[in-house]
Amino acid sequence: MSAPSSDWSFEPLKRRVFRSPSDTALSLLIFALLAYGLFVTVNWAFFNAVWSAGDAALCSEAEGACWSVIDARHRLILFGLYPYELHWRSTLACAAIIATVVLSCLPFFWTTRRLTGLWIAGFGTYYALMEGSMIGLQQVTTDQWGGLSLTLFLFSSVVLIGMPMGLGLALARRSRLPIISRGVAVLIDFIRSLPLLTTLFTAAVVVPILLPSWLQGDKIWRVILAFSLFFACYQAEVFRGGFQAVHKGQTEAGRALGLRPWQILSLVLLPQVFRHALPGTINMVVMTFKETAIVIIIGLFDILASANAAFGTGEWAPYYMEVYAFVGLIYWVFIFSLGQYGAYLERRMAVVSH
Amino acid sequence: MKRHLKKMAGLAVVACMAASPQTAAAKSATVQKIEDRGTMLCSGHNGSYFGFVEVNDKNEWKGLDIDLCRALTTAILGDPDKAQIVPLSWAQRFPALQSGDVDVIIKATGWTMGRDTELGLQFSLPYFFGGTQLMAHGELGISDAKDLEGGTVCVEAGTTIERIVADYLKTLNVQHEMVSYEKAAELRSAYLANRCDAFAGWGPNLAVLRATEIENPESHKILNDQLSSEPIAAAMRQGDEDFVDVVNWMLAALLLAEEHGVTKANVAEMAATPPNPTVARLLGVTPGIGERLGLRETWAREMIAATGNFAEIYDRNLGKDSPYKLDRGLNNLWSHGGVLYAPILD
Repeated sequence: MSAPSSDWSFEPLKRRVFRSPSDTALSLLIFALLAYGLFVTVNWAFFNAVWSAGDAALCSEAEGACWSVIDARHRLILFGLYPYELHWRSTLACAAIIATVVLSCLPFFWTTRRLTGLWIAGFGTYYALMEGSMIGLQQVTTDQWGGLSLTLFLFSSVVLIGMPMGLGLALARRSRLPIISRGVAVLIDFIRSLPLLTTLFTAAVVVPILLPSWLQGDKIWRVILAFSLFFACYQAEVFRGGFQAVHKGQTEAGRALGLRPWQILSLVLLPQVFRHALPGTINMVVMTFKETAIVIIIGLFDILASANAAFGTGEWAPYYMEVYAFVGLIYWVFIFSLGQYGAYLERRMAVVSH
Repeated sequence: MKRHLKKMAGLAVVACMAASPQTAAAKSATVQKIEDRGTMLCSGHNGSYFGFVEVNDKNEWKGLDIDLCRALTTAILGDPDKAQIVPLSWAQRFPALQSGDVDVIIKATGWTMGRDTELGLQFSLPYFFGGTQLMAHGELGISDAKDLEGGTVCVEAGTTIERIVADYLKTLNVQHEMVSYEKAAELRSAYLANRCDAFAGWGPNLAVLRATEIENPESHKILNDQLSSEPIAAAMRQGDEDFVDVVNWMLAALLLAEEHGVTKANVAEMAATPPNPTVARLLGVTPGIGERLGLRETWAREMIAATGNFAEIYDRNLGKDSPYKLDRGLNNLWSHGGVLYAPILD
């Protein structure tokens, strides 16, 4: 990727933006509109805003944003219905998940064993802290989990379970046994032809009616498994694209060198498959982060549901804009970081720049 | 399979009752399940439904429906904090009840024939009547729809409300102009911009709108007329009549307490010196109210001590002590011009 900074020197700017009088006029008009928009937004969000929960009474008079609602209700947005006095546990659990994600971005952890160990440790910490009974704290059942911590948990478990599952499905689809490859193809097409909402609704609501109670498990795990299956079916196709990009000759070359099939797979094919599949994979991961909001419809109290609850009371009802802006900012921070991480991986994994 | 078991349990209950008609009613299977579990599973919402289901600053549920659930929990388990609120979406509530994810749905749910029959539910006595009402600008100085003569009424296009308002005003012989808007937001701004004199909607929603979105809540008047009415009731699974009795008498006890002036504050005093036989029966001083439902004799006393009577619950969540200031109207006792009544406590 060439540095874009040279495009920003004055000469090309002049050439592109102020080429003719009409261009200049149009450009200036657009700049003026943008500047005005920025001015209004900044005024609303900062200069005319009311900040503290104690000043809530000032909000109805104020011209700008009423951030008091965030001050008063941010714990609801972040932690949902988790018991109020135990929020420190939810905070630590969130930190554990975020730390796990950040650490797994470090090249030091990029061996299968380290990465697996890290994720099991991070996930175990999260679960132990949130649930509590395993480490001798007060038990908090999964139906009380909520807010950002639930969204993070759903997202990371779906990706964590769905990614290996997707790889498995992609490999099965390449199988030479028609019954396996056809069967998997039918499964993938079947799951993909159902809306995610239907899949999740079935897992959350219909399964308990059909299965005996000892087979049902916790609602949150049913939902995570269904979501992971959905993710895996799409991800399998992304991986398949990666496999198709590797020339057949490489497998043959590996065989000629006397490598065993699993060695060919892990030493020759997979590193290249991952590289080819990376843009699609990042796409899937980012979409999954946003799609977790769908669980609102099956009564899980994720960040969007708790945001609705945050302004869903007489006192704070007029300030939904502020709540949505806050939640939007949280989504943006996470998704932007994911995107940046993807770009970093691509740079790192590039063999040669084309 | 589950349903079969439940039916068999129900039959067993009936058989027991037939065998010993003199003794107290057998305990409801659902109540037994709740007691074994130690918590009561009630319906919450995936977010908030103004006045009925909300979350406060301490991340705890509140609202009219939540308080009724807490009252029911106190009646059965003796402790309002044993209520476990399961967040449910609208679409999810009936399957969740059937699958046993919740014991009862108390969630602004209207009693309709389809739900009563096809969905296999049974409903309690209605505890709330919400219907189409009109809100008008305060400066008009009117309080009844008949004064809308020559005025403009705004409604949402294509809803049943449009027809209800037209029929109602025609019956009153009030000449008016009806303007319909495609979207609720347009309708709201049209009303606020004084393009209509009055605006029609579901009563509780009008109250919420007045309290939350309109700058000067005092300058808008919700008119006295009730154009239509939808009974809101608790929904339960078919097949456990004894549980319906428990829910009905929970509601009845709250209404009786209001009627006889038993409040959260004076319930202990009233129990010590009951002013009349009904209160004595209600508070378990004269035995019967507990035994006949398979509950403790003091369940109603404990419940009122925990949540207050129906008026207290209403005022706190929708009425004069809430931000919404919704008048009792139809939701008053029959003796105060409303339609809520309790069966006779004998």
